[in-house]
Amino acid sequence: MREKINDEVSVVMYFSARKRIALPHLISWQNKDYTIKEMGYRHSILEGRTLHHIFEFTVNEADLWMRLNLDTANLHWLLEVVSDGNAD
Amino acid sequence: MEMPINDIEPLIMHIDLNSCYAIIEQQANPLIRHKPVGVAAYTTPRGFIIASSYEAKRQGIKLMRIIEAKEIDPRIIILAPDPEKYFDAHRRFKAVLERYTDLVTPKSIDEFIVDFQGSQTISKGQNLLEIGYQMKEEIKQALGKYVTVNIGIAPNRFLAKVAAGMDKPDGLTVIEARDIPNIYGQLNLLDLPGINHRYESRLNRAGIFTPLDFFDAQLQLLKGPVFQSIVGYYWYLRLRGYEIDAQKFPVRSFGNDFAIKEWTYDREVISRYIMKLSEKTGRRLRKHDYQAQGVYLGLAFDDGSWWGKSKRSKATIYSTQEIYLNLMQLFRQVSFPAKCSHVNIAVFNVAPASPFQLGLFDGTGLDTRALARASDKINDRYGEFTLIPARMANMEHVIIKRVPFGSVRDL
Repeated sequence: MREKINDEVSVVMYFSARKRIALPHLISWQNKDYTIKEMGYRHSILEGRTLHHIFEFTVNEADLWMRLNLDTANLHWLLEVVSDGNAD
Repeated sequence: MEMPINDIEPLIMHIDLNSCYAIIEQQANPLIRHKPVGVAAYTTPRGFIIASSYEAKRQGIKLMRIIEAKEIDPRIIILAPDPEKYFDAHRRFKAVLERYTDLVTPKSIDEFIVDFQGSQTISKGQNLLEIGYQMKEEIKQALGKYVTVNIGIAPNRFLAKVAAGMDKPDGLTVIEARDIPNIYGQLNLLDLPGINHRYESRLNRAGIFTPLDFFDAQLQLLKGPVFQSIVGYYWYLRLRGYEIDAQKFPVRSFGNDFAIKEWTYDREVISRYIMKLSEKTGRRLRKHDYQAQGVYLGLAFDDGSWWGKSKRSKATIYSTQEIYLNLMQLFRQVSFPAKCSHVNIAVFNVAPASPFQLGLFDGTGLDTRALARASDKINDRYGEFTLIPARMANMEHVIIKRVPFGSVRDL
C-alpha cells in the first residue's frame, strides 16, 4: 500500500566529511521517530531553479519505506510518500 | 561471390539495464524487491504496464493492462513512472561507461553502445571481459546493489545486442567472429534485433525460417525478393559482423503524445490537450534551438480507428502559439467516429532557428519569438508551466512528464 502524505517533517541529517556523504538520519513524523535502515536511492530534481534532493529509504522501527524531499531553497523537509511494500 | 565473416576483434559493447524502470523502483524501495512490480503510465485498471520486474515477467506479465496483470497475479505492485529518477539513473549509468572511453552512445534511456575500437583501455592490455565485469560492479556502486545489467560484446552493434540478450538477467556474453554461425543456430528469427513479425513473414515467404537460413541466404535473394532494396544488403553485412548501424541521423521532428484518461467527444477538452502538447513540443523545439515548417496531428478513437494529417507551412513555426494555431487548422477538419482516446502531435521539417531568416511576405515574427523566449526564460527559472497560455489553465496534473521511449536527446 502506497500512500501520499505530503507533510512537513522534522529531520536530523548528518554529513560525513570523511565519506563525503550527506544523508538524513532521523525523521520525526506523527510523534514517532524513525531512523534510516537502508537508503534505496537518492537523486535530485530541479523545479525551476530550485534544487530538491529526494531520498528513498526503509526505516528500522517499522516495515516502512519513505520518500523524503529536501527543498534547498528553504531547507524544509517534506515526507511525500510512505509504503509498506505491498500491492494497493 | 560470398562475403566472409568480418574476422575482427570483438570491441563493441552493448549494455542495458535489466527491466530498467522496475529495477530502479526496486532499488529505491527495498520492500518491493523480489516481488512482482509493474510500472504503468496510469495506475487505474485500464492503465498500461510499460515495464515489469523479472518476478512479474516470469509469470508472463509484460506489456499489458493492469487489470489483465492482476488476473495473473493480484499481488503485483503497480507504480506510476518517476521519470526524473530514471533520467538520473541514465546519467549515472552513462558516467560509469565514460570512465572507460568517450565513445559512448545512448540508444535509449536504459541502453548504451560502448565502442572500444582504438581505446586506450584496451591498448593498455586490459581484457574486455574483465572490463565488463568491472563495469557491472561500478554500476552497482553508482546505482545500487540491486541493479543488474546485461552486457554483450561482439564485432558490431547488432551482434553485441544479440549477445546482451542471450543470458538475461545479469549476463555477459562475448560473440567472436568464429562463433557467429553457432550463435545463429541457437536463436529464432524474432530473437534478432530489428526482426519483427512483419519481417519474419517476409523472410518466411522467401524460405528463410531460422537465423542460420538468413545468414546463409544469398545477397541477391535478400536485396531482391526479400527486402527489395538496399536494406537486404545491410542485413547481409550486419549478419556477418560488419558495422552498418553506427550512423547518426539528423533531428527531423519533435513530438509528444497523450493517452486520454477519460475518453471523450468533447472537442473543447481535446483542444486544451492540443494546447498543452503544443507547449511541451514547443519547449523542446526551442530548447534545441530549432524551428519547424510543418505540423502533424494524430487522433485515435475508442472504436480502434485513427485519424492523422500533416500540414506544411511556408512560414516558420517556433512559438507554442504558432504550433497550436497550425494544429487547430487540422483539428477543425476531423469528425469523431467515436470517443477520442489518444492525441499525438509533432512538428517536422525542423532546422536550426539561428540565425533567423525573415520570409519576404511574412510578418517579422520577431515579437512572437521574443515572447516565446521570454516565456521560456520564466519557466526555466520558476519551473515548468509557471507561465502558460490561458487555454492551459487548471491543467497542472494533465499530460505530466513521461519517460521517453527511444530518443534520449532531451535528457
